[in-house]
Amino acid sequence: MRYNVLCIGVGGEGVLTAATMIARAANYDGYYVRGVQLHGLAQRGGSIPTFVRFGDKGELSSPGIMQGDANLVLAFEPLEAVRATYYARKEKTIFVINDFPHMPVYANLLNLPYPKIDEIKKRVKPFAKQLFVFDAHSIAKERFGEVVLGNTIVLGFASRFMPIKRKSWVKAIKASSPRMIKENLEAFRIGENM
Amino acid sequence: MDVLEKAGRKVVLLGNEAIARGAIESGVGVFAAYPGTPSSEVPITLSRIAKKVGIKFEYSSNEKVAFETAAGAAWSGVRAMTAMKHFGLNVASDSVLPVAYVGVKAGLVIMVADDPQGWSSAQSEQDTRYYARMARMPMLEPSNPQEALDFTKIAFEISEAFEIPVFLRTTTKVSHSIGTVRLGKIEKPKTRGRFVKDLGRYYNIRPNLQEMHKRIDKKLMKIEKRYGRRLTKVLKGKGRVGIITNGVSFEYVKEIVHELKINPHIMKLGMTHPLPKKEIESFIRDKKVVLIVEELEPIIENFVVRVAKDVNPKLVIHGKDVLPRYGEYNVEVLMPAFGKVFGKKVPDFRKHRKDVEKVLRGLAPRKPVMCPGCPHRSTFYAVKKVFGDKAIYAGDIGCYVLGIFEPFEMQDFVISMGASLGISHGIKKVSNQEVVAFVGDSTFFHAGMPGIANLRFNDGNAPLVIVMDNGITAMTGHQPHPGSGFTGMGEPVTPIKIEEVAKALGAEVRVANAFNQKDLIERLKELKERKGLRVLVSRGECRLLTKRKLRAKDVRFVTFEIDQEKCMKCSECTDHFSCPAIMEVREKPNEEAKYVIDPDLCWGCSVCMQICPYNAIRPRRKK
Repeated sequence: MRYNVLCIGVGGEGVLTAATMIARAANYDGYYVRGVQLHGLAQRGGSIPTFVRFGDKGELSSPGIMQGDANLVLAFEPLEAVRATYYARKEKTIFVINDFPHMPVYANLLNLPYPKIDEIKKRVKPFAKQLFVFDAHSIAKERFGEVVLGNTIVLGFASRFMPIKRKSWVKAIKASSPRMIKENLEAFRIGENM
Repeated sequence: MDVLEKAGRKVVLLGNEAIARGAIESGVGVFAAYPGTPSSEVPITLSRIAKKVGIKFEYSSNEKVAFETAAGAAWSGVRAMTAMKHFGLNVASDSVLPVAYVGVKAGLVIMVADDPQGWSSAQSEQDTRYYARMARMPMLEPSNPQEALDFTKIAFEISEAFEIPVFLRTTTKVSHSIGTVRLGKIEKPKTRGRFVKDLGRYYNIRPNLQEMHKRIDKKLMKIEKRYGRRLTKVLKGKGRVGIITNGVSFEYVKEIVHELKINPHIMKLGMTHPLPKKEIESFIRDKKVVLIVEELEPIIENFVVRVAKDVNPKLVIHGKDVLPRYGEYNVEVLMPAFGKVFGKKVPDFRKHRKDVEKVLRGLAPRKPVMCPGCPHRSTFYAVKKVFGDKAIYAGDIGCYVLGIFEPFEMQDFVISMGASLGISHGIKKVSNQEVVAFVGDSTFFHAGMPGIANLRFNDGNAPLVIVMDNGITAMTGHQPHPGSGFTGMGEPVTPIKIEEVAKALGAEVRVANAFNQKDLIERLKELKERKGLRVLVSRGECRLLTKRKLRAKDVRFVTFEIDQEKCMKCSECTDHFSCPAIMEVREKPNEEAKYVIDPDLCWGCSVCMQICPYNAIRPRRKK
C-alpha cells in the first residue's frame, strides 16, 4: 500500500505546517513516510508543491510523487489546484480545493486575469475522480478570527479519504500546533463534519 | 521537538534535521556555519537546541570563517562540524584543502548541500563531489533521512579514526525530503579542549608538503578498505544487467524497479570518495550491461569505465549517453533510460504533460516575490525614481535578488556573494555609465567589505553602493549576522554598524529609513550629485520578522486601504510598486478595474500610502 498526498498553495501560508501534520499522523499510525518540503526561495510567495507519501516501506522510496500518481490533492489556494494537475489523473485523484483566492502579482503585471472558480473547476475536472470546493478560510475567519486555521478545516474534511486513524490525527495536531491546540482541534472537527 | 525525541523512537524528520540529530548523537561540541539553502535547516535545528543539549553553536560571518572555527576546535580535541551550500564550499575551500593535508585530532565533518535544478541557488549546478577529489578527502552521500543521520555518525567515526576531515554531501532532495527515521542515543557533548603545540604538524611548508600529501594517499587507501564495503549496498537481482547509483537517485531507482516489475542487480554507493574499487570490480565482473544513475557529472561513470578495462572490457556502460548531465532527476526523467536499457515499454509522460499545459494556458505564474511590506521593494522603487531605467544595477545574493523580476528588473547581473561590488568596479574602470551596486547586510559582512576596501583603494570612479540592511539574513530563515545584535545562541551582543564600517573604509555615507520614500529619495539625490566612493545604508527591518515579533506579542498593526472615491485608477501601486497585498479586481473581464488592498495580506509598511499620486491610500478605518 502507498498513499500520495500533494499539498499545494502559496509559500509562507501554512502549506508546510499542514503537510507536517499529515506526515506526523501517518507516522503515528506506523506507516513508512517519505516526502518533499522545499524551503528557502520557493517559500517567498511562490507556488509551493509539498509531497507527503506513506505506506509500506517496500512500495515507496522516492520522496516525490510521480506524474498522475497523487491519491489526494489539497489545494489551499484555487489557482494552485490547476498547477497540481500534473500530479493528478481522472481514475485516481481526489481534489479538495479551498476557495480562498490569493491573486498572484503577475495577474496584474502580465494582464492575465484571475479565473473564476467555475473556470478553475472546469480545468481541474479532467484530472479529478472527485472534486470538492469550499471556502475554509472564511469559515475560519468567522469562527476563530484567524484565516490560517482554514488549513486545518481542509485537513479535517480531507481526513475521510486518508487511511489514518482519528487518534493519530489528534496526536499530530497537538504536536504540530502548540500555540493553538484547542482551536486547531475544533477546526479539524468542523472539517470532519462537513 | 521530534529531533530531541528519545532513542529508539521513530519520527519523521527532514533530511537536514536528521543530520542535526546525527551530529548530537555523535557528541558534536562545536558547530559553526554561515546559512545557505539547501543546507540551512542543519544550523537552524542546532541553534534551537544548542543550549538544551549543551553544544557551542555559532553563526559565523562566512563559510570560510565557520570552517576555520570548526577546524580550530577539532585541533583542540573537540568534535566539530560545519554545514554549507555548494557555493559556500567555494568560499571555504581555501582553508579546507590545506586542513585536509594536515588533518585533525577530534572528528571534523563538513556537510555540504548541492542544489541541482537550482531550487534555491542562482549560480551554477556545481557538483561538489569534485571537491572531494581535489581536496583528497572522504565523502559520504546519504540517500534519505535515515542515512543522513547514520552517515553523519559514520563521518565523525572516520574523521577521528583517520585524523582527516570528512565531507557529508547531500542534494536538495536529500536535505529537503522527509522520511521516517529511527533515532539513536544522544551523546553528551564535550565542549572543552586544549591545543597542544606540535611544530610541523599544522602547516604544509616544504618539505612537509609532499610528506603530508603522501600520507593522505595512505589514509584514503585504508578508508576505502575499511569502509568501502560497509557503505556500499548491493541488492541482488536476476540476469546480467546492473545499476550503480548514489544519493537520492537510489530512491528513484528502487521505485522505478518496483513500477516496471524488473529485477536488476543494484549497487548503491554510500561513499563516493574514495570509490570502493574492489566492490565495484566484483559487481561488474559478470555483468553484460550496467546503467549508472548519478545526478550531474559522470564521476562514478568515469571510474567504472576505467575499472572495466581490467576486469570486464566487453561491459556495455550506460550513463550520460541516456541520462541528462544537468538538472535533478526524478522518476519521470529516469524512466525513458530504463525503457531503453531494459527493453521495456515505459509510460509516455509527454501526453499528460501536454494536457496539463493546455489547462495551464493563460494562468498567471506565481514566481517568488518580495513579501508585502518588504523594505527592499521600497528601496528599489526609490532608486528607480532617482536613477531611472538606464543606470546599470549590480545585483547580489539575498532576498533582493527578487528585484530581477517585473516590475523592477533591477539586477542586471547576479554572480556570487559580494560580486556586485567587484564587477561594478570593473565596469566603472572602463565606462562612464552610471552604476548602482546593491548588497545586503549579511552579504556585506560575508564578502562585501573587501570589495568596498578595493573601491576605496583603487578609487576614482566608484559606483554608488546601496546596502539593503534589513537587520538579518532573511532569505535563509532569519539568521543573525554581526550587525544583528544577537548571536546564533540568542545571546545579545553589540552590533557592528555598517555605516561605521563604511566610513572607516573611507566612504561618504548616508543612512535612510527604507520605509520612508522622502528620506530615501533625498539621500539618493545627495549621493547622486557627488563623486567617489558613496554608500547608502537603506535600513528597515525585514517585515516578515517584524510581523512575527508582533504576532508573538499579540500586537495588531495598522493596515491600509484605498479610498475608492479618491482612487484615479492610475495603477501606480500595482504596476510599478507591485505589492502582493494590492490587487486589481474586475467583476467582469472588460470592466474597469477597482484597486483594493487585501487586509489579510497587508503588513502595514505604509509605503503604498507614500507613493500614491492622488493620496487615495489611508490607514484602514475601523468598521
